[in-house]
Parts: sequence; structure tokens; C-alpha cells
Amino acid sequence: MKPLGSISLKNKFFYSILAVLLIISLAIAFLARWILVSSLISELELRGSAIARTIAERGSGFMLDKNYTQLLALIFEEQQLKESKHLIAYIFVLDQDNEVISHTFTHRFPLELKLANPVPPEQTRSVQLLTVADLAAYDIAIPVKEGLYRIGTVHVGLNKDHIDQLVAALRTTFLGFLSLVIVIFFIMSHMLAKYITKPISRLTKISDELSRGNFDIKLDLGSIMERLDPFDCPAYANTDLSCPHFDGFATSRTSQESLPINSKSCRHCILYRKQTGDEVVQLADSFHNMVWSIKLYRRRLHESEEKYRTLFDNGPDPIFVVDSSDLHVIDANPRVIELYGYERDELVGTSFLELEPEHAGKSTATFAGSPNVNGCASFQKVLHQKKGGKPFFVNLHAGHITYKGRPAIIIAATDMTEMMEKDAQLIQASKMKSLGEMSAGIAHEINQPLSAIKMGSDYLAMMVERDWDIPKDQLHEVVSEISTQVDRAAEIIDTLRAFGRKADLVKEKLDINKPVKGVHSIVRKQFELDDISIELNLTPGLSPILAHDNRLQQVFFNVMSNARDSINEKKDRAPARERGLIAIRSFEANRRVVVEVEDNGMGIPEAIRDKIFEPFFSTKETGQDMGLGLAISYGIAKDYAGDIKVQSREGKGTTFILSFPAAA
Amino acid sequence: MDTILVIDDEKPTLAMFRLLLSANGYNVITAENGRDGLAVFERQKPPLVVTDIKMPEMDGIEVLRRIKQLDANTEVVVITGHGDMELAIQALNLDATDFINKPIQRLALEQALRRAKERIDLRRSKEDQVSVAVGEDASVIRFRGSLTSSSEPQLLDGFREAFALNQEKIVLHFDGNASVNGAGISILTQLLLDAGKRGNRVVIAGLPEHFKKVFRIVGITNLVDIEEAERNPWGEEAR
Repeated sequence: MKPLGSISLKNKFFYSILAVLLIISLAIAFLARWILVSSLISELELRGSAIARTIAERGSGFMLDKNYTQLLALIFEEQQLKESKHLIAYIFVLDQDNEVISHTFTHRFPLELKLANPVPPEQTRSVQLLTVADLAAYDIAIPVKEGLYRIGTVHVGLNKDHIDQLVAALRTTFLGFLSLVIVIFFIMSHMLAKYITKPISRLTKISDELSRGNFDIKLDLGSIMERLDPFDCPAYANTDLSCPHFDGFATSRTSQESLPINSKSCRHCILYRKQTGDEVVQLADSFHNMVWSIKLYRRRLHESEEKYRTLFDNGPDPIFVVDSSDLHVIDANPRVIELYGYERDELVGTSFLELEPEHAGKSTATFAGSPNVNGCASFQKVLHQKKGGKPFFVNLHAGHITYKGRPAIIIAATDMTEMMEKDAQLIQASKMKSLGEMSAGIAHEINQPLSAIKMGSDYLAMMVERDWDIPKDQLHEVVSEISTQVDRAAEIIDTLRAFGRKADLVKEKLDINKPVKGVHSIVRKQFELDDISIELNLTPGLSPILAHDNRLQQVFFNVMSNARDSINEKKDRAPARERGLIAIRSFEANRRVVVEVEDNGMGIPEAIRDKIFEPFFSTKETGQDMGLGLAISYGIAKDYAGDIKVQSREGKGTTFILSFPAAA
Repeated sequence: MDTILVIDDEKPTLAMFRLLLSANGYNVITAENGRDGLAVFERQKPPLVVTDIKMPEMDGIEVLRRIKQLDANTEVVVITGHGDMELAIQALNLDATDFINKPIQRLALEQALRRAKERIDLRRSKEDQVSVAVGEDASVIRFRGSLTSSSEPQLLDGFREAFALNQEKIVLHFDGNASVNGAGISILTQLLLDAGKRGNRVVIAGLPEHFKKVFRIVGITNLVDIEEAERNPWGEEAR
């Protein structure tokens, strides 16, 4: 098949038509020759037989009369009659005893002829090809009968050479005609093959050019030679438009701005062709349309690719494309290089997890494994590393995509460093404000031990000055009290320092009771002076949470301060009905560590309960409070994946419920 | 032996009070909060009470008010946070006889107690609070004990006498045990204003340091000069 396959279509047409023609011609030639020759010979035999019969009828009388002279005259007459003389080679007559009684031989009768072709008694004729003395002839023997008796036999010899000459002439004529037919067919098949294959080879050439990307090739298919500017087509010039001819089935573009089909320029599309003609013309049109369609879509694709590439390359946020299966970076835009400090080559192929040291990419990995391929996920304040290990915070937004045929994740990273610094500054500022609010109480708190120390040491000094003996037990009492009070003061200062310190980047594992106790130690005395007692009911051995001690202190301080303010406000409105009480409970439920801070203050009216966590919302007089305390507390809690809920009954009190996920 | 009641919510402080005051010869009773303190006061009626102001449940101001209701002659010394003059003045307006700052200095405490004791003695001996003398270049009004509303007539007489001496400069000399309460301050202010109108120059001398501070705050220092203690005309120790 292979060698046959490489023959061009044109030659296939040509040779196969030729072969079929030759076979048919040969068959016809043989058949015709056989039919013609045999019918000619039998016709001539019939003619010979007729002559023999004529002689038998007319000569029977002469034979009975034994008038052999007359008989001879008769046979000569018949032999010489018209054109028969070329045909008939001889005639002879035998009597009933097979003796030659008459013959037309001009020379001596060849005796072997006499019995060469006998007629069997029951037959009326016998034909036999004989060759006697240079003479080839068809001998036709007819019995001569008188009544029932056979009185002799007439033999007529037909000249074989003459017959052969006739057959040869016939054959020559026939073959000549056949050759003429073959030549005509040869030329016709050649032209037909050329007609069919020429456009095909032209299509092939154009296809080759197209596949090489040369879309500017001239499409001189069919009869119209066109030189069209593709920008004459509105859909080509503006890829946002859809073409009614080429986009007939492309439903995806239906949402696009559609050009009405009856618009003047598109009613007769200069590019879309549908001519009347045979299959070759139709094929050429179809191919032409296909090429235009490809050109149009290539342009759209190119523009689309360019558009999205531009979005990727010049987007304001760093964007990664990460393989879904192994989380290796496939692509990264220039902003990534700017932000992370890695070269693109260094990033591509390395694992995305390496950028995320703290959680070892847990969040991204979880997302990659999630079955919801349409989903999108955000990860807040993820710690990432720049080249060289410098940590910084980013917000990640991830989505599933298909990139170069593979499932992938696109991750946009927003640098949160500045925001976090602002956050930290805000938190710090709010903390300093809290410290300011606390300062009077703290001064009082530190004054207590100092006072005791002062008095103790004054007592000792006085006794020494007066040169009095100090009883041993009193001396011991004083010095141990001084030591205790120094510890107490140091503890207050430590708590204060921890509270004022800026939080580290990395969260620590923390027992939630610790910040509660810390704040309690600072505010307890102060609250007691406001006639508010704090009831601590902390469950020991709670699961740790991931947070910052001093930020949580700030949260609890804010919540407790609000509780105190609420109780004081209630007291101002209706003095001294009941003692102020703040009850703090900690416990664990459903893998969450919960702290409840309950007060018996004013309560929060239903109408503003949703607003209390909003920044700059304050129920206090303008200027007294910025309204940032709870907003900042809420933000801090959210940073630790925690939550603050509030339950309140107006006039009865409020419970703040702070919950945080237990660290694994 | 004088009995003294100390009210403070701080146990360590109370313990130290007890040691220090016992060593100074006082009979010390203590109470840990205002309510207990009042109960003890009603039972034992001590002439001298030292109370902290900032206390839970019932604060020192309330204790002071109640004690003054029970016995106006009780000398009540209040303890205030360091530099908290507002509370001090509030206490003085409620007829506290004196105040001391926290942390408590032994000398300040001793002086306050001694002054209080002297005032009690003064009250018991019914001595005149005010006497007038002629100095080298000024007439001198000497004042002892508590300057309260009850000392107004005496002080008025004293000033009249001083005016009569016809000297431009008048020295108002407080004895070491002197104390001024809210009513005393307003009386004094009025008198000093009158003296100013008459063209007299009044100098205050011998005033304890913490009362100087109070005078500065209430604005009396705008009307008069306050002499340093050394320059007092008697040359005695001015405490």
C-alpha cells in the first residue's frame, strides 16, 4: 500500500481510468473478434451449403440421366457465379459409389479429397477443414437425393485464404476504432483528474502555509481573486464584537456585545462566502471560510492572551501560579520578584510552602486538597519569608484554575506589612491610652507597698536614732514585710511593663488564664475603690491558645474597663442599690477556650448592640472616648481566629464571651 | 497615753502604723475598712483618727464626715495619694484637721500627730488662739491651733488690734501646731483681702509645708507673702 499511497491523486485517477479502459477494450476486442469471425465463417458456410444444395437439386436429374456433361456445366456455372469465384475453391460431385463423376479442378483430381469428408447417412450436411496439396479449404458435403435414395454427394470447397483475408480486414477496422476510443478516454481522464486535484493541491499548499503561521497568504481559491483588508470586518477590528456568520454556534460569546446581522456591513459579509457551484467550489468556499474563522479566532485569542498576560504581569499584587498536586510554583509575576526578592528562575519549580515557614503552608495545602474546584479562599496575615529569611505578613487569596492543561492554584499575595505596622501602632496607641487611664490606679497600687516599706524603714530608723532596742519579733516582722512589699511592687511593675511592650511577630502558646490574671492584678484594687469586686472563676489546665499575652491583656482590660464604666454609670443614675460585680469565668468547650466576663451594670440597649464593635462608636461623651477599645479588641481576637460575642439585658448587665481555638 | 484609731485597707501598712505609733507612745487601735473603723470609733471614742481616703466600700471622706457628725472635736488626719491635693482640700472642707501624703514620711506623721495633740491640749486648756504683739518693723498676729469657723471672732479681733498698731506690715504667724480647714481658708481669705484694701502688707510665717501647698492652690499666695520658717520673729523652731 505504501508505494501506492505515495502516488499523487491525479496519477491515481489517470492510471486507474486507463487500466479499466484497457481491460474493457481488450475484453471487447476478444469477444467481438470471436463473435465476428465465427459468424462470418458460418455465414460463408451457409453460402457454400446453399450453392451445394442448388447443385444437388439441379444436378440430380443429370445424375440420374448420367448426363455428366450438363452436370459439369452446372458446377462450373455455379463456381464462376459473381463473386463466388473468389470464395469457392472447388466443386466436385460423387455418385452413390463415391466415384467422382464431375469436378472443377483444372488439373487432376486429388484422390485423397474423395473420401476426406464423407456425409454420414442420417445427416444432411458435413463441414470439414481440409488441406490437400497446398490448398486449405472448408469442405462442405451435401448428399444428393432422389426420393428416399441417395444418388450422390456434392462437395463445395470454400477457399480458406479468402476467408482469412476477410477476417483480417474486419479485425483491422475494429482495432482502429478501439484505439481511437482509448485515446479519447485517455485525454478526458487526464483532464478530469487535473480538474479535481488542482484545487486540492492548492488547498494543501495553503494549509501548509497556514500551519506554518503565515496567515497573510493570498487565498486565491475558486474564481474570485480577492485582496481584502481584514480590518474591513467589524468583528476583526474589534474583538469584543461577535460575528453573526462565524459565531453562529459559539454560545460563549453571546454575553458579548453582539453586532446585529442585518447591519449594513454584515448583511453581505465580505469574508464569508457561499457560492453556487460543484463540490470543488463548495470545498474552496468552505476552506476559505474556515481560514477566516481561524484568523478571526486567532486574533481574538491573541488579544485575550495579551490582555490576561498584561493583567498578570502588571497587576498591582504579587500573583503566583502553583501546581495543585505538589504545590510547586509554575509562574510568578514581576511583583512577586519585587516583593520576595527571588529571581523568577529561583521561584519556578520550588515549593510554595518554602515561602511560608510558620505554618508550613498548611493553609494552602488544605486548599489545594479541597474538592471544591470553584471555591476561593482567603488566608489572613500569613507569615511569609523574603529571600534571606526576612519575615513579613501577607494576605493570601487563592482560587483553582487550569493552567496549561493542569489543575493549578492562582494565589494573590497582598503585602500586609504596612497595614500590620499601622495595626500595631494603633493597638500600641490604644494600649498607651489604657495605661494612661490606669496610671492613677497604678500609682495608688504602687504607693501601697511603698507606704508600708517607708513606714517600716522609718520605724527602724527611729528606733536606731533613739537608741532603743528593737524587739526581735518586731524586727523580723518589719524586714519580712519590707521584702514582701518590694516583691509586690516589682510584680506590679512587671505586669505593667509586659502590658506596655510591643507584641512580637510570632504568636506564643498561651494559657488564657495568664492575661486574665495579669489584668486582674492591675485593676483589682482600683475596681475595689470604685466598689466593684471581681470574682475570678478560672479553670486551671486549659488547652493553650496561639496568641500574644499582652495583646490579650489589652482585650481583657478593655472589656473589664467597659464593665466598670457600665457599673459606675448605673450607680450614677441610681446610687448604691447593689454592689458592682464582675464575674470572670474561663472554661473549654468544643476545642475552644472561652472566657466570659459578666457584669451587673447598665446593659447594652438592643439597638446599639450590633454597633459596639464598630470603630469610633462610643456611648460616652464626645472627647472622653475615641470608641476604639472594643473595635481594637475585636480585631485582636480575630487575629487569633477568636471571636467576641455579647449578651446583654438592659438594666441587668452584660456578658462578653471571648472564645479562641485551642492550639493543636 | 493617747489613743489613736488608724483606718487603712492595707494590712501591711496597718502593721507598720501599729509598730511606729506604739514606739511613739500611742495606744493604737486599727480597722481595715471604713465601716469597722466607724464601729470602733463609736465604741472607744478616740480623740485622734488617722484614715486612708481611698478605700473600698466606704472611703475616707465618708468616714471623716460620719466621725465629724459623731464628734466634731475629733482630730481626723487623712492620708492622701501623693500630690492628690484635690482630695486633700475636699477633706479640709469637711473639717479634716490635717492631711499627710502617701508614702507616709515619719516626720510628717509625727508632726501631724503632735500638732493634733497640741490642738487637743489647746482646746482642753481653753487658751486663746490669737495674740498680737509689736515686732521690729511689723505688727505680729500669732495663731495657734485649728483655724476653723469657730476661731473667726478671735482672728477678727486679732486683725483689728494689728490694724490699730498702724504698721504697714502685718505678720500672721502660725504656730507649729496650726491647722486650717475649709471654713478657715475662706475666713482668712476675706481678712487678707480687707488688709489688702487697707494698704497693709501681710506676710504669713510659720506655716507647715503641706499647708503652704494648699494656700498656693486656693490662691492665698496671690494676696500675701509666705515667709520662710527661719525668719519668724520669735526665733523659735517653727514646726
